[in-house]
Amino acid sequence: MSKLRQTLESGQFVVTGEIGPPKGVDLDKCLHDAEVMRDHVTAINVTDLQSAVLRIGSMAVSTRLIERGLEPIYQLTCRDRNRLALQSDLLSAWALGIENVLCLTGDHPILGDHTEAKPVYDLDSVQLLKAASTLNQGRDMAGHELDSAPGFFLGAVVTPGAEPLEPQIIKMKKKIEAGARFFQTQSVYEPDKFEHFMGQVQGFNVPVIAGIVVLKSAAMAKFMNSNVAGISVPEGIIREMDETKKEDRKKKAVEITARIIRQVKPLCQGVHIMPLGWDELIPEIISEAELSWEARTPQEK
Amino acid sequence: MHATIQKPIDEILGYLKPDERVFVVGCDNCAAKCQSGGIPETEEMANRLKEKGVNIVGWCVPQPKGISLCKLSNTAKVLQEEYGEETKQADSFLVLACGQGFHTVMDATDGGMVHPGCDTIFGGETVTDNFITEYCSLCGECIVEYTGGLCPVTLCAKSLLNGPCGGAKDGKCEVDRTRDCGWQLIYDRLKELGRLDEMNAYREPKNNSRWSRPRSLTIGEGEATFRSLSGEQKVASHA
Repeated sequence: MSKLRQTLESGQFVVTGEIGPPKGVDLDKCLHDAEVMRDHVTAINVTDLQSAVLRIGSMAVSTRLIERGLEPIYQLTCRDRNRLALQSDLLSAWALGIENVLCLTGDHPILGDHTEAKPVYDLDSVQLLKAASTLNQGRDMAGHELDSAPGFFLGAVVTPGAEPLEPQIIKMKKKIEAGARFFQTQSVYEPDKFEHFMGQVQGFNVPVIAGIVVLKSAAMAKFMNSNVAGISVPEGIIREMDETKKEDRKKKAVEITARIIRQVKPLCQGVHIMPLGWDELIPEIISEAELSWEARTPQEK
Repeated sequence: MHATIQKPIDEILGYLKPDERVFVVGCDNCAAKCQSGGIPETEEMANRLKEKGVNIVGWCVPQPKGISLCKLSNTAKVLQEEYGEETKQADSFLVLACGQGFHTVMDATDGGMVHPGCDTIFGGETVTDNFITEYCSLCGECIVEYTGGLCPVTLCAKSLLNGPCGGAKDGKCEVDRTRDCGWQLIYDRLKELGRLDEMNAYREPKNNSRWSRPRSLTIGEGEATFRSLSGEQKVASHA
């Protein structure tokens, strides 16, 4: 059983990190980023052609993490594969030792670097979760029996800051019915809004891991506010970043991220830190957020 | 209706061999509405090609008024009888119509050489004389009963069947912030109709074999047969 599953199922607070596979074949940098997180997170998300930009695959990088004794959360999107390829990749992933899978729709190709690519979306994220659950039960989507079954721990995403929120919540329920056992969220910067969201999903009994993108600058915050759905960085945080000298920004990023984590910690069952290259800050963020292993998973270390 | 736009004249000129004798054909239904192959556009295309030195032996937009070029019996009669003299001289036909009309000319001229003068861009609703937009993807498996009459296969950029992705912002789609999120439209409409419950139900993946091409429909006495890779489907017809 994966550490992520054990931790969540035992009701403990979890911290997950994230790495983005490179555009090329040299994995040194991204494996180094993962290494920095080694003693600080339970599992590391490996993105699947993030932003629809061509990169090395999530499965290859997830496998390299496993070889190093790190636990991946393999991200799998519906954008590039039909139902045959999705199911086959899932079986391959299991054979390579991958247990945690985060099922996503995937950014549209028009947002990436191969804008003329055919968007596949043969399945949507709910249908993908159902397909993966069916594989777990020893059958494929067409109802044929597998000679042996995987045992994936399936996750999904939700956007707590979406407006309107209701369609997101309806879809979240469908994802749970289709087999999602944990949720990671779009980045949270407004604990109040997040609290409202958590109030709405209280009875769902599925762990929610609050996502937090480490803010690097005021410009990045403004960019996300105008371009990224469901993200709203409050004016106060933008000002804080704006008033910080360039050389002190990393320190400020640690301070802001840790503060948000402390605010959301009582509301949910984990945090998912997306450092976007500032991976070296993770140990400091965790320490400042008072998230030592002892504070979350005393049995683990 | 099938929406079409004319190809650039230089692309069309590139199709034609020197001294090739060309007959230009338009369509009085969809291409006329799109102003890509009605009477004025077809005449104009013939004149523009003449000015570029192309040997144009004639042009026509098969009548009666408003008829589709893709009705083979009419198109064959017009091209072979009414315009028989001109079409006999032609080495090829340039068709200002959709891909169906294009193929109809091939059939109507017993396998004549046919050049496409248009790109067929989608099947749509003629909302006004100046605006045509797409509401149906011709997928062969209509699910709009459950989505307030709005098709997610067509209106959602990702054709999602179980609700919106996380990419919409202020009701606009991630692929283009000026374009409505299809699921926002569906959500608003279901809410307005008091049928939001429809969104709770799990929707199965599409049966893409019904969307396989080419498909056909044969209409017989009291029965019609739809053929696709999903097999033959016979339905009663009550004409």
